[in-house]
Amino acid sequence: MALEAVDVETWSNLIFQGVLLGILYSLIAMGYNLVYRANKSINFAVPQVVLLAAYTALITATATGRLEVALASAIIVSVAVSMAIERGVARPLLGRPPIALIGATLGVFYALKGVVLVVGGSEVAVLPLDIDYYRLGALTVATNDLISLLGAIPVLAGVVLLHRKTSFGAAMRAVAEDAEGAAAYGLPVRRLMLAGWALAGLVGGLGSILLAVKTQVSPDLEYYAIRALAASLIAGLDSLGGVLLGGIVLGLAEQLASKFLDPYLPGIGSDIAFLLLLLILFVKPYGFFGSERIERV
Amino acid sequence: MPAGVFKETYEGDMAFIRYPIHKAALVLAVIAGLSAPLLLDTYYLNLAITALIFWVAVIGLNITVGLAGQISLAQAALMGVGAYTVAFAALKLGVNVVLALPLAGITAMIIGLVLSLPSFKLKEYYLAMASLAAQLLLEYAFSRIDPDQYTPIPPEAKRLASIDLNEPEALYYFTFIVAALMALAAGNIARSSYGRAMKAVRDNDVAASIVGVNVPLTKAIAFGIGGFYAGIAGGLYAIYSVGIGWEAFTLVNSIELLGMVLIGGPGRVVWGSLLGVLVLRTGWTLLESNLVPILAAMGFSAFASAIKYIVLGTLITVVIILEPEGLIAVLRRVKEYFRLWPYSY
Repeated sequence: MALEAVDVETWSNLIFQGVLLGILYSLIAMGYNLVYRANKSINFAVPQVVLLAAYTALITATATGRLEVALASAIIVSVAVSMAIERGVARPLLGRPPIALIGATLGVFYALKGVVLVVGGSEVAVLPLDIDYYRLGALTVATNDLISLLGAIPVLAGVVLLHRKTSFGAAMRAVAEDAEGAAAYGLPVRRLMLAGWALAGLVGGLGSILLAVKTQVSPDLEYYAIRALAASLIAGLDSLGGVLLGGIVLGLAEQLASKFLDPYLPGIGSDIAFLLLLLILFVKPYGFFGSERIERV
Repeated sequence: MPAGVFKETYEGDMAFIRYPIHKAALVLAVIAGLSAPLLLDTYYLNLAITALIFWVAVIGLNITVGLAGQISLAQAALMGVGAYTVAFAALKLGVNVVLALPLAGITAMIIGLVLSLPSFKLKEYYLAMASLAAQLLLEYAFSRIDPDQYTPIPPEAKRLASIDLNEPEALYYFTFIVAALMALAAGNIARSSYGRAMKAVRDNDVAASIVGVNVPLTKAIAFGIGGFYAGIAGGLYAIYSVGIGWEAFTLVNSIELLGMVLIGGPGRVVWGSLLGVLVLRTGWTLLESNLVPILAAMGFSAFASAIKYIVLGTLITVVIILEPEGLIAVLRRVKEYFRLWPYSY
């Protein structure tokens, strides 16, 4: 493939697809960040929760044929599992070193992998949806592109606004800042942490089904969610708005890499995220927007 | 009679064998290890060989994670580096696998040293994710060098002088000796100045740097040693296998290895690692061979492949929540109960 063959139309579609993918990444990445802000931990089980939600959506969609039922079931499963992990795993581990939480959520990852195998096997399928193509100037937009775009942006904006503008958001930020201090002011810290995890489950479930609409339901969704974690770290774990940038950087990098690097390194597109993450963490160890931690002894 | 074992000298406190239970465990382990081929048939002998191989890998990870506190999710990929080094040295260059084994360790150690670079700046979750990224990048590299997911190990390369390592008994003794040497070295690393520097870095790296520990060097050594152990384990795995494919060195395997460290006893390098392997790998294989036919008979054959993940994942999570120091702490409590019996206070 020669480089000069790349014209305006290819470029604009490439960038559009990259940004779209990036927005979906940032939706799942926001789930990680919400959990990190709630109780300073990463939920490594998210990739399997995403997969579980997607397979639930597939099952309900094939049973009822309606996408909105699938959406609801995916979100319910994701929120329920997320809250269960908070109650069962994260809460007993409060105050323990991060390795305990990493190990325990990876244990949940491992266990949920089994659950996913029971629920969905390793089936590959598309959700029932009629796809039309529209032309907007140089862009070609499909129905599923529009659905994912219109589904993701309001939720991303909504969560950021919820965090910045409402008293509930202020309480969540207070808990993220200093849980003991927040408790001293009479905030229901435990319930707020649970709410943070539930919110993370919500965006994760939504991200899962939108990814499934955009691509397909397959075991690959697990890796999308791991790449979303990379997006979350590129943005900085405690930044909420930054995930949009982190996601879009990754989405674009993925599209560009699979376009230009693929002849030399087949299949690098899906792994470029990790190379990028390592490089960025070398320069900015706390990501672009993450607050640097000052350690005291 | 003293109510316990008390150390009166610094040397006594730093000795390799400190308590009678260490001596007993060592003697029992050596006897059990040496007599295993006489007692076990080929199936169980192969199980013992894999247990020894994974013991080496988990010891390495336990040094990185348990001693130095540096989270690594790339141990399985480092094992893969060692395994492919042996496989390609034997297949392409015709090198004897025993000669290629140290090479496997060194190659994986170099990659491990590269993996230590993020740890100079990153901690905790960021470090975990950096190693996860490295794991997935190495998986990509494996998929490029081994697209068929199968690299045969030529049986004629599996020789040590006149001993044929294709024989299960010979391979068992070879693996046992290598693993025992590695475990001995690990026990000594843990009590050396490097090991104590690692523990200081684990407990508080800022404080450690203030008392004069070279923190980046200590982290690099921890990752390097962890990589070396993983490489040797991978090399042994290649010697044990007819052929290798990279599906044995994926993220899920890394999670298993980390689970073995955390379940067995993080920081308890030799015996904790052994316990982790015996529970998560050997114990499960034994249980599974009995469980799966029962499940199939009950009509749940769909669960057969999934049950491993569900049971082991739950076990890892529950043990981490209930027993921060791993199952070896449970053993210690059992031992203390009997030592103090009948006056348990």
